[in-house]
Amino acid sequence: MNDMTLIRDIERYLEGDMSMQEKAAFDALRQSNPLINEQVLAHQQLIQQLEGYGRRVALKEKLNHIHASLDMDTMKASPKVISISRRMLTNLAAAACIALITSLSTIALMQKATRQKTTAQYEDVRRVLNNIQRSQNALINDFNSKKKAPANPGTYGGTGFAISNNGYLVTNYHVVAGADSIYIQSTKGEVYKATSVFEDISSDLAILKITDSSFRGQPVPYTLKPQGVPRGEYVYTLGFPRDEVVYGEGYISAQTGFNGDTTAYQVSIPVNPGNSGAPLMDNKGDVVGIVTGKQTTSDGIAFAVKTANLKRLLEEMKDKLPKKEWNHKSRMEGLTRAEQIRKMEDFVYLVKVYN
Amino acid sequence: MKHNPNIERDRELLLGLARNDDKALSTIYKENFPSVLRMVLQYRGSEDDAKDLFQEAMIILFEKVQQGEFDLYSKLKTFLYSICRHLWLKKLQTGNMSLALPDELEEVLPVEDTIDEHVKKDEQFRIMEQAMSGMGEPCKTILEDYYIRKMSMQDISEKFGYTNAENAKNQKYKCLMRLKKLFFDQYKS
Repeated sequence: MNDMTLIRDIERYLEGDMSMQEKAAFDALRQSNPLINEQVLAHQQLIQQLEGYGRRVALKEKLNHIHASLDMDTMKASPKVISISRRMLTNLAAAACIALITSLSTIALMQKATRQKTTAQYEDVRRVLNNIQRSQNALINDFNSKKKAPANPGTYGGTGFAISNNGYLVTNYHVVAGADSIYIQSTKGEVYKATSVFEDISSDLAILKITDSSFRGQPVPYTLKPQGVPRGEYVYTLGFPRDEVVYGEGYISAQTGFNGDTTAYQVSIPVNPGNSGAPLMDNKGDVVGIVTGKQTTSDGIAFAVKTANLKRLLEEMKDKLPKKEWNHKSRMEGLTRAEQIRKMEDFVYLVKVYN
Repeated sequence: MKHNPNIERDRELLLGLARNDDKALSTIYKENFPSVLRMVLQYRGSEDDAKDLFQEAMIILFEKVQQGEFDLYSKLKTFLYSICRHLWLKKLQTGNMSLALPDELEEVLPVEDTIDEHVKKDEQFRIMEQAMSGMGEPCKTILEDYYIRKMSMQDISEKFGYTNAENAKNQKYKCLMRLKKLFFDQYKS
């Protein structure tokens, strides 16, 4: 078959000019001979391109025609440029400066006012420990001048939980803010020294690292779940409002936190001072948030930072803590709540802060 | 989606465009060109820049509508405007204009995919344009008459003075074979 008859056949085939018999024969030829099949496809493509080309050429012609009918001058004239004399400009600048200063100072004042109001309504749930333990600074002060009372005998407590097998923990920034030394205590009563290795004030999170060489990590059984959790999802938490770990349960009540803070959830869950930094778990035992505070003006309204923020933080410190260290598989799924809690307990710590 | 009379009207216009309605084309052109012109002039482009840019956007829109794959999820104006902004941005980046990129040229709509697709199509168009211009007469006109203007072989053979349609057909096949070679030589390399 020469090229000429082939191209004719291909075209008749594609345009549907063939009789049933011819078509069947050509179909068979196409199947048996891949070269022919390729030619058919190429032909099809060529015609499509050609038609597309034709359409575009016609369109361009039409567009040029329309364009020619436009009145360009009126169109260009529409954005009017107002010329301003130099003197007027100075006056304008002075007026603008005054307006700027006024508005900026108003904004500053307003912000200060709202901040004051905010602190009145929002309360961190770290706990002031009444133990007699004192900070090292305070002890040194005592040695130096026995009469003077220690500068700040108050010590604080919160909750933290493990995120890796090698001794990294998460808690709230406000728990460890200004800390001299940080100790963590497991539910079994073991106490380790820890240091804060990464702090993020905006999301109120801090990453701690256990520095004691005696610490032996265990594989963490839960995963961090950065995806959003719908309203109404049941959640629970384990925290240390006292020296014993305490369980609390509730539900996600809103997708934003205090004052519309989108990085946090509003949670209806009983929290008390000491719950700060406690993990918020969903039904499957995945960590969906970190408890940070509550609203003082009404009862049962708590807030939790979304896990997505924690994940972002961890990704930022990937030099110190590579992803494989905190990205583990969940071994909590399918367990009952009580079993989950039993597993979880070993990884939730009381964070004691001395300053 | 909430009811929006503007979107309804845009949809009408697009339906017109799909039907190849010249009036719809002209309406879309006249209503949307001024804002693009102003944008380009603002960034020290010329009137011709604006014309090229806008017509390219119109081609993108037209081809998308003709393929039936255009979903109006924003106002038509927004779509055209953001396509033009992206094209302009590209031009500023590639051209020898050493203009600092204005910060306001940020994304209005995610149209990158559309533009990438367009760049590919544009290349095909240019190859076909080149191939066609290399064809010479009467091949060029015969192919255009048959495949683009959809004239019958009978009319074509009369127009070119062939003794019968069969002869014209043979001529057309020869032309097509040459075009095929010219096109695919470029297209594959």
